[in-house]
Amino acid sequence: MSEELRVSPIETRGVAGKKRYAMVVDTRRCIGCMACQVACKAEYDTPLGVNRTWVPYKVVGKYPAVKKQFLPRLCNHCDDPPCVRNCPVEATFKVEDGGFVLQRYERCIGCRSCMAACPYNARFMLPSHRTYTPITNVVDKCTFCFHRVTQNLVPACVQTCIGRSRVFGDLNDPASEVSYLVATNATQVLRPEQGTKPHVFYIGADRNATEFGRDAYRKPDVMELERAAFKNHFKI
Amino acid sequence: MGDYVWFHDVSWHASYAVYFFIIGIVAGLSFLSYGSWITPALRPLREKAAYGSIALLALGSLLLIADLSQPLRFLNILNPAYLHFTSPLAWGSLNIVAFGVVSVLYILALVKRDESARTKLLATAAALLALGLPVYTGYDLTVHQSRPVWNTPIMPVLFVALAIASGSAVGSLLAAGNEAARRVLHQYLLWSTAAVGVILISILGTTNYGGAAEELTFIILTTGTMGLVFVGIGILAGTAAPVALLLAPFGKQQGGLIVASVLVLVGSAALRYALLMGPQQLQTLY
Repeated sequence: MSEELRVSPIETRGVAGKKRYAMVVDTRRCIGCMACQVACKAEYDTPLGVNRTWVPYKVVGKYPAVKKQFLPRLCNHCDDPPCVRNCPVEATFKVEDGGFVLQRYERCIGCRSCMAACPYNARFMLPSHRTYTPITNVVDKCTFCFHRVTQNLVPACVQTCIGRSRVFGDLNDPASEVSYLVATNATQVLRPEQGTKPHVFYIGADRNATEFGRDAYRKPDVMELERAAFKNHFKI
Repeated sequence: MGDYVWFHDVSWHASYAVYFFIIGIVAGLSFLSYGSWITPALRPLREKAAYGSIALLALGSLLLIADLSQPLRFLNILNPAYLHFTSPLAWGSLNIVAFGVVSVLYILALVKRDESARTKLLATAAALLALGLPVYTGYDLTVHQSRPVWNTPIMPVLFVALAIASGSAVGSLLAAGNEAARRVLHQYLLWSTAAVGVILISILGTTNYGGAAEELTFIILTTGTMGLVFVGIGILAGTAAPVALLLAPFGKQQGGLIVASVLVLVGSAALRYALLMGPQQLQTLY
C-alpha cells in the first residue's frame, strides 16, 4: 500500500502487521433515525448536552423537491492527530496497533488543549453530573468502541445502524469491507486541508454537507443568542 | 433554515484571556526591571517592577490552575514521566516554573540590596525567561491549525509586543513622578503600541483575504459585540488613540502618558479577549 504517503512516524498507513481501523459512512443509506446516537449514549452513559457521535442535517433542494441530508459525525481517529500532539501530559494517545485515539481519564488535567486542536469538535468536557459513571470533569471523546473491537465486536453505533450506513473494519486489510468500499467508491473526509488524515470516510457527502453550515453566515449576535438558549436548556 | 446544528462549546473561556493579560504584564515588568540595569533612567522602577512581576505571576498561576477542570492535577504537567514536549503547554509550564524560581532569587538579591554582577545576571535570566511567557502563550494559539487568526506565525510576536506595551503602561503608572523614567517609558509605550497596531493590520488583512473560515472569522471579529470589543476598544481606543496621544505634545506630559497607559491596558485586555474568543466562535458551528 502507499506507505510513501506517510509524512509522520505516528501514521500507520500500510504498515505491515499493524491494524488501521476505519469507519465508512454511506450517507446515501443514512435515514437520520439517530439510533447510533442513542446506542452510543447507552453504551457510555454520555451525559445530556454532550455527544460522542451526533447526526446533524441540512435541508437541501428546492420546494417541493427537498430532502434532509444527514452527516453522522464522530471522532475521526486521525492517522496524524493534532489532539495527541497538543496534550501536555500525554493523557490522549494513539494506539499503535489499530489507530484508536484514546484518552487516559486519570491523567487528564482538563486544560482543553485537545479540544482546541481538534478540527472536528469531536472532544468535549464531561460535566460534573452523570447518572452512573464517576468519571467527570475530564475531556472525553469517541473511542471507536475500543473495548468492543478488541473483543471482535463492531462499535455500538455500527451494530445498531438500521440502514447499514456505518461500516467498520481494518483499512490495512485489503480483504476488509471498508477497504473494498474505499477502493470502489468516491469517498470524502472532513476538512482534508487540515492534514489530519481522518479514518472516517464518507460516501455521498458533498460540499453542501461538509462545509460550514448556513448558521455560520448569520449575524454573530443572533448566533450567540441561540447558543445561550441551547446551553441554558442543557444546563451546560 | 432547515439545518440541525449541534452547538459545541468553546474550548477556552474568558478566564484564559485574563491570564494572557496578566502574564503579559508580568513579562513587561520583568523587562523593565532588567532594563534598569542598562538604562539608568529606569533605576527607580527596578524593585517596584520586580515585586509587581512576582505578585502578578502568583495571581496568574493561580488563575491558570483554577481554569483547569481538574485543578489539583496541575502537578501532572510537571511530572517528568507525563511531560509531552510536542505540546506548547508543557514548555510553557516549565518556563513559568523556571521564571518563578529565577524571579524569587532575583528578588532576594534585591531585598539584600545586592547590586553585584550576580544580581544583574539574575535580572538577565529573569528577563530572558520572561520573554518566553508571551512567546509560549502566542505559540499556544499558533499551533492550532484549524483556527483562523490563531494559526498565524506572527501571534507570538504580537504577544511579545503586547507584553512590552502593557508592561510599559504599568511602568508609566508606577513611575508617574519621575521625569527621566517617564521619557524612556514614553518611547517604549509609543513604539510597542505602534508595533501592535502594525501586526494587527497584518493579521486582519491576511484573515480577510483567506478562505471561507478566515473570512467568516473576520466578520465575527469586526461586527456586533465582538466588533465593539476588538475594533472599538482594542484597535481604536486601545491602540490607535494612545499612539496618536503619545505623538501629540500632551502625550509627552505626565497626564498624557497616564491617559495613554490606561488606554493601552484596557485595549490590550480587550485585544486578548477578542483574539482568544473570536476565532473559536466559528469552529463551534462545525
